[in-house]
Amino acid sequence: MPSTSPPQTQTKKKRRERTRNLLPFWLILPTVLVLLAIQVYPAIYTIWLSLHERQPAGWEYVGVNNFTRLFNMGIFAESAGHTVVFLVGYTSLTLVLGFIIALLLNRKLKLSGLYVTLLFIPWIIADIIVGIVFRLLVVPDYGLLSGILQNPAIFPPNGISVLTAARPPSWVGGFPFPPAAAMVYLIMASAWRALPFITLLLLAAMQTVSTEVVESSRMDGANGWQVVRHIMIPLMLPTLVVALFSLTLGGMNGVGMVFSLTGGGPGSATEVLSYLLYVLGWSQLNFGRAAALALLIAVINWILILGTLRVTRVEERTH
Amino acid sequence: MKRLWTILTFVLLFSFVLSACAVPAAPAPGGEAAAPTGPRDFITWYQYDEKNEDPASDERVGNQYLRDTIPQFNEAFAGTWNWVNQPKAWDRMNAELVAAVQAGGDVPDLFEMGSSGLTELYKNGALQDLSEWAQAQPWYADMDPNALQACTGPDGGLYCIPIAERPHLVYVWNDRFPEGFPTTPEEYLAAGERLKADGLYAMTFFGSTDFNGNGATRAVFMTFSSFGGGYDDGAGNMLLNTPENVAAVEFLRTMVQSGYVPEIAFAGGFQEEEAFKDASAGSFPTGLFGYRYVNPLTAPNGTEYSKGNEEDMLDAIAAGDVILRPFVAPEGQTPGCNNEVTGFGIPVGAKTPEAAHDYINWIMTPVQNADWVLRPGAGFPALMTTRASEQFQTPFYQQAGEVVAASACRPWHGSLERRPEALRLIMGAVYRLIKEDPTADIAAVLQATQDEYNAGN
Repeated sequence: MPSTSPPQTQTKKKRRERTRNLLPFWLILPTVLVLLAIQVYPAIYTIWLSLHERQPAGWEYVGVNNFTRLFNMGIFAESAGHTVVFLVGYTSLTLVLGFIIALLLNRKLKLSGLYVTLLFIPWIIADIIVGIVFRLLVVPDYGLLSGILQNPAIFPPNGISVLTAARPPSWVGGFPFPPAAAMVYLIMASAWRALPFITLLLLAAMQTVSTEVVESSRMDGANGWQVVRHIMIPLMLPTLVVALFSLTLGGMNGVGMVFSLTGGGPGSATEVLSYLLYVLGWSQLNFGRAAALALLIAVINWILILGTLRVTRVEERTH
Repeated sequence: MKRLWTILTFVLLFSFVLSACAVPAAPAPGGEAAAPTGPRDFITWYQYDEKNEDPASDERVGNQYLRDTIPQFNEAFAGTWNWVNQPKAWDRMNAELVAAVQAGGDVPDLFEMGSSGLTELYKNGALQDLSEWAQAQPWYADMDPNALQACTGPDGGLYCIPIAERPHLVYVWNDRFPEGFPTTPEEYLAAGERLKADGLYAMTFFGSTDFNGNGATRAVFMTFSSFGGGYDDGAGNMLLNTPENVAAVEFLRTMVQSGYVPEIAFAGGFQEEEAFKDASAGSFPTGLFGYRYVNPLTAPNGTEYSKGNEEDMLDAIAAGDVILRPFVAPEGQTPGCNNEVTGFGIPVGAKTPEAAHDYINWIMTPVQNADWVLRPGAGFPALMTTRASEQFQTPFYQQAGEVVAASACRPWHGSLERRPEALRLIMGAVYRLIKEDPTADIAAVLQATQDEYNAGN
C-alpha cells in the first residue's frame, strides 16, 4: 500500500481548503449574476439615460439638462407637494386604522378567524381594479355614492363632486394643503387596500406582547391608553417600523391607484411624483427626463428610509 | 476531476445567461437563411382585437373589421403572407413601439397610428421614411395633399401612409335648439341660459385633463381656432397668449361658470359622453369618429336608439334627431376644428416590410379602402377617388362633408414638435382657467404655459 508523503498531503489539504473557501463564492455567483442583470444594470442604465436625450439619429449627451428641465417644470414642484400630502395622509390613516382594528381583533372575539379572512379581501385585489371600483362609486351623476356626496343638504353648500371638485385655496404658500376632495378620496382608497396587510402585521406583533406584562401594568393602575402608549407601542416598535417602511415606499412608488382612480386629476390635484414619472416616460416618451425623475425618487426613498430609521432608533433608545 | 466538472458547470451556466441576454442574430445578407416553406407571418399592431367578440366592447367595429378582413387578406396573399394581428391599447401603442424598437425587440411589420403621435415616434427613431416607396405607388397622386402633409416628419420624410382623415365637429340634439344651432358665441350663451332654466345644458365636452390632456385636441382647439387663435406660431414655438385665445378662454369660462356645461364633462374617462347620450346636454363638440362610441341614445322627444352600437348615432342622424354642425365662431371668423389623420407606419426593424407594402397597396384598392375608412378609420378617405364613391354619400357623410366645408380644419399641433408635452401643458392651463380658478388672469397663465414649453425649444 503506497503511502502519501507529507508534502503531497499538505498540498491536497491546501487545495481542499481553497475549494472549501471558494465554495460560498460559487454558490452565490448565480444570484449575483441575476442581481447584476436585473438590478445593477438597470440602475446604471437609468443614470446613463438621465444624462441623454433621444434624437432621431440616436442618443445625445445633454449633461444635467434633463434635471434642469425637470426642476423648471411647474408640475414638478406641485407633484412633490402632492406626494408629501399623500404620503402623510396615507401612512398615518393606514397605521392608525390598522392599529385600532388589530387591537379589536386581539380581543379574541367570536369568529375572529372569519373577520381576518374578510379583512384580507382588499389586499388580494389589484390596485388598478380597486381604483376603477372606487372611481365608479363617485362618478358625477350616476356613481353609487354621488347621490349622497353631491347632496347639498348633506354636504353644504353645494355637495361634493369628488372627481371634479377644485382644490381649496392653499393655507401655506403654494403647498397643496388642504388637499382636494379627490386627494382625500385617493388616500382613503389606498388606505383601504393596504389596511389588511398592515392590520395583520400589527396583530401578529401584538400577539407577541406578553400578557403578563400587560396584566401587571393594569394591576399597577395603567389605563387602556397608557398600556398602548407605554407597553404595546414600544414593544411593537420594530414591526411598526417595518409597516411604516412598507407603506412609505409603496405610497411613494405606487402609480396604479392614481392611474385608475383619478388620472392625476381633477386638473393636477392628485398628480404625485410616481404618476409624473409614468407620464414623462410612457405618455410623453421622454425617457431621459423620466430617468432623471426616477433617480430623484430613488434618492427621496433613501432619505425617507434613513430618516425613519433615525427617528425610530432615537425612540428605541428613549424606551 | 471534480474541479473540472465545477468549472464546466459554471461555464455552461454562464453561457446560458449570456445566450438569454444576446440579441438574436440577423439573417445573413443575400438570402442565405433557410428559405421559408410556407407563407411568412405578417405582424400588425392594431388597437383592435379580432378575438374580442364582446358586442359591448368599445372597439367592436374595428374588432369585427379584423375578423372579416384577416381571412380576405390571407386568401388574397395565399402562400405568401399570413396576417397575424397583435392587439394593443390605443393610448399605449406608441410607447410600446418605441420601447420595442429601442430595446431591439420584436416590432410589427405594420403599425396603425395617428398623425398626432408622429413627431414623438420620429424623434425616437421608431418609424421608417416611406417617401421613396410611396411616391412610386399608383395611388400616391390621388392622395389629399393635407393628409400627406400630416404624415410628413420634421425632416420632410413621409413617416406614415394616411388612410382616413378625422375632422372634429359638433353633434347636436336638434330639438334642444328649436331656432337652429347657434352660429355665434353670444347665441350659444343665450341658448345655454334658456336650457339651464329647464335643468339642461348647452354643451358637454372633454373638459378634463385626463389622457395626457387629450381634451386639448377636441373642443378646446375648436374654440381656440374658431376664435381665430391656435397653439403655435408656425415656427415650432407655442403661442397661446393672443387676444383671440384669451377671448376663446373667456367664452369657455363663461359657459362653464354659468352652469351651461354639466359637471360630468370634467370627470375624465370619456364620462362627458353620458350627458349627450341622455340628451341632458344639447350639443357635443368632438371627433367625427365619436359617433361610434356615443350610444345608446335617448332623444329629447323620448325616441330611444338602443341597439347599443355605432348604428344608434347614424340612425338618430338619419331620423333628424341628431344633426351635425360646425362650432360657433365670432362675427368675421370661420369655425375651426382639428383634423388628424389615421393610417399606417412601418417601424424600424420590421422583419418583413415588403408584407406591409403589399398590405398598404391592398388597402388602397377601392373596395378595401372604403371598407377601412368606414370601419376602423371612421373618417373621410385620404384617397380622393374613394371620397367621391357612393358609400360616402349617406346622410351622415353628407352632413359631415358640409360641416367640414364650412369650417377651417387643420391639425391642432401646427408646427409644435413635442406634441404630448404641449397637449398636457395646454389642457392643464385651460382647465385651471375655466374650471379650477375662474379668477386667474387668463393672459398671464397662457403666457406662463407657452414660456414653459418654449424653454425646451
